[in-house]
Amino acid sequence: MKDILTIVFRLTLSCILAGTVMGTTFVLTNKAKKHNEHVKEERVAYSLLGFEGEAPESVKINSVHRYVLSQAGEQFIGYFLPAGEDAGSEFVFLQIDLDGNLEAQYPVDIAPEIAADPAEQTAAIVAAIGPGKSLRYAEKYQFITDGGERTAYLIAGKFPGFKTHIAVMLAMETDFSIIGFEVLEHEEDPGLGAEIEQEFFKNQFAGKPFEVLKDLDVVKAPIPDEYMEALQVELPPEELEKVMEKYRGNDIYALTGATISTVAVTDGIKSMVKKFAYRVSILDSVIKDQNISVSI
Amino acid sequence: MANDKNNFQLVANGILAENPIFKLALSMCPAVGISTTVMNGFMLGVAVLFVQVFSSVTISVFKDYIHPRIRIPTYTLTIATWVTVIDLSLAAALPEAYAKMGIFVKIIVAFAIITMRLEMFACKEKVSSSFWDGLGMGLGFLVGMVVIGFVRELLGSGAILGYDVLGFKPLLFFILPSAGFFVVGLMMAFFNYIEDRYKRSKGQK
Repeated sequence: MKDILTIVFRLTLSCILAGTVMGTTFVLTNKAKKHNEHVKEERVAYSLLGFEGEAPESVKINSVHRYVLSQAGEQFIGYFLPAGEDAGSEFVFLQIDLDGNLEAQYPVDIAPEIAADPAEQTAAIVAAIGPGKSLRYAEKYQFITDGGERTAYLIAGKFPGFKTHIAVMLAMETDFSIIGFEVLEHEEDPGLGAEIEQEFFKNQFAGKPFEVLKDLDVVKAPIPDEYMEALQVELPPEELEKVMEKYRGNDIYALTGATISTVAVTDGIKSMVKKFAYRVSILDSVIKDQNISVSI
Repeated sequence: MANDKNNFQLVANGILAENPIFKLALSMCPAVGISTTVMNGFMLGVAVLFVQVFSSVTISVFKDYIHPRIRIPTYTLTIATWVTVIDLSLAAALPEAYAKMGIFVKIIVAFAIITMRLEMFACKEKVSSSFWDGLGMGLGFLVGMVVIGFVRELLGSGAILGYDVLGFKPLLFFILPSAGFFVVGLMMAFFNYIEDRYKRSKGQK
């Protein structure tokens, strides 16, 4: 009996000690870690969109936040987006039912700097839509406009990889063809699944039109030499474009020894783009039908 | 204290006489899976080096308070704690290095070599010896990984440190995990042969 108690006591103590050490480290490092992630995300976003360090003057990156809203047992989708100049408020919150019809719209008048903070933003929306509704944050989309014209989309997403989640950021043209993507976070095996970070792998997705992407699959075959050279940007520009064009309709070539990771990325991106395209089409049709003034 | 080696001998012991990969044949799965290039091997080696040294010292400090029945959970807890601490600190302080090393740090929790060194050495020896032993074992692992990585990268992708040196890829097979075993096996044989020759030449004198 005494042995059991000693063991329990010592193991508990070790756990508490270990927990304290880890907890302290987390508290001390979390802020810097978050900041680093934010900086990285911004840099990745700019490089995907092809800006050098800083976005041009005419370009604006507008955030659209998607919420899930439940009211009296019914589910709605909510979009929080920047309002147009003549709207009389900074932001507008659209409540759309699952069939894609506008249920209600609420002006939300808070400063953009305050809206950038997720907690403040949710609080402001709750105040605007009134009681009796519960609100859950889903995700953020970024709509890029150049001089008021929509030029590109930027979305971030997470999907299961071979071991844990793979987080990516994806840039799309307005017709949902892929501009490019970047792996933000993953824990795939080095030398195998971790090759998803390689340029030649990521470039296979660049330029894939939405129609091709819808049925995109993975083939287990070596990448043809000329395609590989193009993917690694080793060809002169005209020739590179020709080769890329030739393989544009093809499936994704699996990474050697990492078919599961390849399939995970392919399927993940496919479903991200499909869902996004569907949601944007609904949002756009609502905005157009109801003549809502927005600046996206 | 069973240990009668000085600090230098402890470090040399980890690199040569008891090299974790070539002599003890521990932590083979990660060694074989990851040592596809020199850089990958080096990264994993550095990560193991730090975790091994920190864990060895920690266990050595607390060795009198660890109940013998629960040594293993305590070791695992210690290793997991250090892996987490290093992972978090690296992400906060050196984001550039973390981008490259993050995935290597996280897989160390399950490494046999670290647990084994805590069991065989750190829980019996004094703190300073444990530090040097941890350093030696970590370096031994690092050297082993770099050597295997060198062979596999050269034969598998015809490159060294990412620079194309051969201009062609001799045997793609060497990149695959199974080839790791061949490389490790051949190197073991090679090192044993050298050692054998060395011992014989000494014996004949």
